[in-house]
Amino acid sequence: MNTSTSTTWASKKPGRSPGERLVEAILFATSLVSVLTTAAVIVVLFSETFQFFLRVPLTEFLFAPEWTPLFAEPRYGIGALLAGTFLFTAIGLVIAIPLGLLTAAYLAEYAPHEQSIRVKGIMELLEGVPTVVFGYFALLFLTPILQNLIPGLNLFNPISAGLVLGFAILPYISNVASDAMMAVPRSLREAAYALGATKFEVVTKVVFPAAVSGIVAAIILATSRAVGETMIAAIAAGQRPILTLDPRETIATMTSYIVQAATGDQPAGSLASRALFSVGATLFLLTLGFNILAQRIVERYRERYE
Amino acid sequence: MQRGLIQDSSQNPQKQQRDRINRVFARAVVVPTVIALALIAVLLLDTLYDTVSVQVVEVTETSGKSFALGQALTADQVIRLELAAQGKSEQEIAAFMSDPDEMRIFRLRNRVELMWATQDGPLRWVVSSLDDTRIKNLSLIEGLRQWNELKQSLNENQQLRLNPWLDYSFLTRDPSRNPISAGLRVALFGTIWLLTMTLLISIPIGVGTAIYLEEYAPKNRLTRFIEVNLRNLAGVPSIVFGLLGLAVFVRGMQLGPTLMAAALTMALLIMPTISIAAREALRSVPDSMRLAAYALGATKWQMISKVVLPATIPGVATGVILAAARAIGEAAPLLMVGAAAYVAFIPRGPLSEYTVLPVQIYLWISANLSEFANTAAAGIVVLLLTLGGLYALAFWVRRKYRVEW
Amino acid sequence: MVQEVAIGHETVRWEPVPAEDAVVQVQNLNLFYGKHQALYNVSVNFPRNKITAIIGPSGCGKSTLLRSLNRMNDLVPGVRLEGKVIYEGVDIYDTQVDPVEVRRHIGMVFQKPNPFPKTIFENVVFGLRLQGQKTGLDEVAQRALERAALWDEVKDKLGEIALRLSGGQQQRLCIARAIATEPPLLLLDEPTSALDPIATERIESLLIELKQHYSLVIVTHNMQQAARIADRTVFMHLGVLIEEGPTNQMFTNPRDKRTEAYITGRFG
Repeated sequence: MNTSTSTTWASKKPGRSPGERLVEAILFATSLVSVLTTAAVIVVLFSETFQFFLRVPLTEFLFAPEWTPLFAEPRYGIGALLAGTFLFTAIGLVIAIPLGLLTAAYLAEYAPHEQSIRVKGIMELLEGVPTVVFGYFALLFLTPILQNLIPGLNLFNPISAGLVLGFAILPYISNVASDAMMAVPRSLREAAYALGATKFEVVTKVVFPAAVSGIVAAIILATSRAVGETMIAAIAAGQRPILTLDPRETIATMTSYIVQAATGDQPAGSLASRALFSVGATLFLLTLGFNILAQRIVERYRERYE
Repeated sequence: MQRGLIQDSSQNPQKQQRDRINRVFARAVVVPTVIALALIAVLLLDTLYDTVSVQVVEVTETSGKSFALGQALTADQVIRLELAAQGKSEQEIAAFMSDPDEMRIFRLRNRVELMWATQDGPLRWVVSSLDDTRIKNLSLIEGLRQWNELKQSLNENQQLRLNPWLDYSFLTRDPSRNPISAGLRVALFGTIWLLTMTLLISIPIGVGTAIYLEEYAPKNRLTRFIEVNLRNLAGVPSIVFGLLGLAVFVRGMQLGPTLMAAALTMALLIMPTISIAAREALRSVPDSMRLAAYALGATKWQMISKVVLPATIPGVATGVILAAARAIGEAAPLLMVGAAAYVAFIPRGPLSEYTVLPVQIYLWISANLSEFANTAAAGIVVLLLTLGGLYALAFWVRRKYRVEW
Repeated sequence: MVQEVAIGHETVRWEPVPAEDAVVQVQNLNLFYGKHQALYNVSVNFPRNKITAIIGPSGCGKSTLLRSLNRMNDLVPGVRLEGKVIYEGVDIYDTQVDPVEVRRHIGMVFQKPNPFPKTIFENVVFGLRLQGQKTGLDEVAQRALERAALWDEVKDKLGEIALRLSGGQQQRLCIARAIATEPPLLLLDEPTSALDPIATERIESLLIELKQHYSLVIVTHNMQQAARIADRTVFMHLGVLIEEGPTNQMFTNPRDKRTEAYITGRFG
């Protein structure tokens, strides 16, 4: 029975004291802070980006081969930053996907209870390491080793940055993917065992395919984290935005460029500063898209088994 | 038919193959965990290893002598010995040390340190000057291997030291462009200030949001929108929050590169984390508690503030500590809102300039000087110890105050 | 071999399944979940090419007994087992026996239909693919679906995802999947409990058909179902095998008071 005719939240429960209503109003106001934050992010990024596109044609943004806003003859090709982000992310995923999925399989299918708590603890530990520490490790430990193994490897390169990134995002894959695998009904596993499947076959031929949407969501989520990961890229991958797919070269990701630009001094309202926000807007749209996609997929597989 | 039941691999190569894959896979699933653990271990050991180095220093202003631990215990005693070694008389030393200006200048230009080893022997005090030039800075193993040659080749004014970068004075020194005198004091104070301000802003907002969504919010589209928005906000890269802070707080509100701008930025960043943890804690309070409070004539807010919230304190506290741990390790958004500037003094208030631990570490790493790698390593050890302490605290709170409903 | 068993003042004639007619012989089986004992010294022979029903109140151990026939209980952590289960002359709990191989020979159908989220065809040939069979899959799938009385309904949509089928169709698909590898023995764990009466009737007549090719053991909580389809019936109570014999005899003239009480509906 709904007695309220008004649509506002405050009048929903009539006859309450003003104090009670004030409390509710304050709490409602706090919950709006997150909405305002999102709104502010969008307004800030896109108003600056709009100003940017008043001066720089979209074709330049999309197709120019370089990103050099501070040069005498500036170029604004986001492709250079996207290529760098792609290299960094792809190398991270090459590490994180197999390791993350194996860990998920271990957590969901093999590990006894106490053991899985321990493994989750290790994953939490990995998640808790500040990324500036990972960056330090990539630049000063991994890169010198890799330079001995890979000829022509620059000091700043997406290989060692990406390798370390892989471990930073591994927990996201293993957590979400193991949840998805645990959501696969026991009856499917039993059906496969009853047909004479080995455990490996149950995992790979029944559990993996049944959990595939959750696994895909896990990978997308990890991709989103990787694209937005800043310190590892800024420290170890470099800050030189050129259009290349050679992983031995110094590159710049969108995030490392933002750091580089911000630690320099660019007056508000300058074109270089607006360019910075246009990179931020691209980064925001990309990660938001990944996150929403992952959520949609997770919601869909939840429905399937409930 | 019977034969098939007995495991006789030689008769069925195909089954043999399946069994082998099965066994290999059962082992392979553990491998990533082992690799991850090994990586963490290597990372820690490498960082610790980098906090010591072997240096050859050309001494210009000081005596170049080292003093045994038995000769001096406090910095003042070391300074006295050093002044004597520089050839000053007893009166001169007494006059020098009783003049606060002289001493302040001396302390600014020099650094008193206990080295693990020098050419004169182990555990000796050394006074280094800012103007000393470092001829070599070698890693521990490299330095120890060449120790004797280095010792042989020392000139008149050169000193050989095994320098532990992470010592008490490292925590109490101000930052410097010179690694020999660079310390963490300003960054430590900045981190404490920033964390306190961030939590003061984000806890009320985060917990308030959680209470509203769990206890008050009607099931309508606005509520649904707030929930989805909160989840999406948690997935926005932290650097984007930095851009927001730059445009709104630093420039728009004209706060400049101050603690206040940074705290507001960080508060927005960790608010979703706190809110999500608080919602889970609220959800775990059984409805029977709420009904019991109502049955005693409590109003809604009395029910929440007197019954529900006290029961959620451990859960909220754990969430807040974990969010604080995240905030302490964040560097990216703070680089956008001014933490990267060179700051020589500890903050005096919310509108002071500041720097924080991870940003200081980043600046040292990017300084591209091998001795700054040592200070960065020492900074990382401090950062990780702080985080470890926070995680241990969260674990303890969770254990100690866990309620079984 | 006819046995005469004295129960109280009465003497009942009782004929166990002779060993040579048995597809599986259970001998002195005790089963423990941790410290809890679920089966007490169970001995029974299950006949070849017949349907044997296991009945009893819930929690009596009937599913546990069924699952110990193909070592599905191995998958439960903390299970311990004593005694023998002899299938075709081999104790399936012998240390040399591979449980995976056991389950290949002894098929199983579960309480709730549990098709894999794959196509109908892929469901049926799943067991064959496990064994590396690559040719003749179409023929085997057709034969299995025909025997499961599902072929006519699905022959035009073998490529569809199996989850779209109705509950009864899904359960017949699971039966087809189980018999595609030609297991001599088929175990069914309350296969119709999740189905409506019409689907149940189809499955029951299908099971009677399947008797020609396979031996069947079915757990059911439905007395009428046992009476309709089973040649022999086993009655379990609190982990103990109370009574076993031809279905007719057990339902018309039970030897044990507990059996009588259960069958007449006084508990269960």
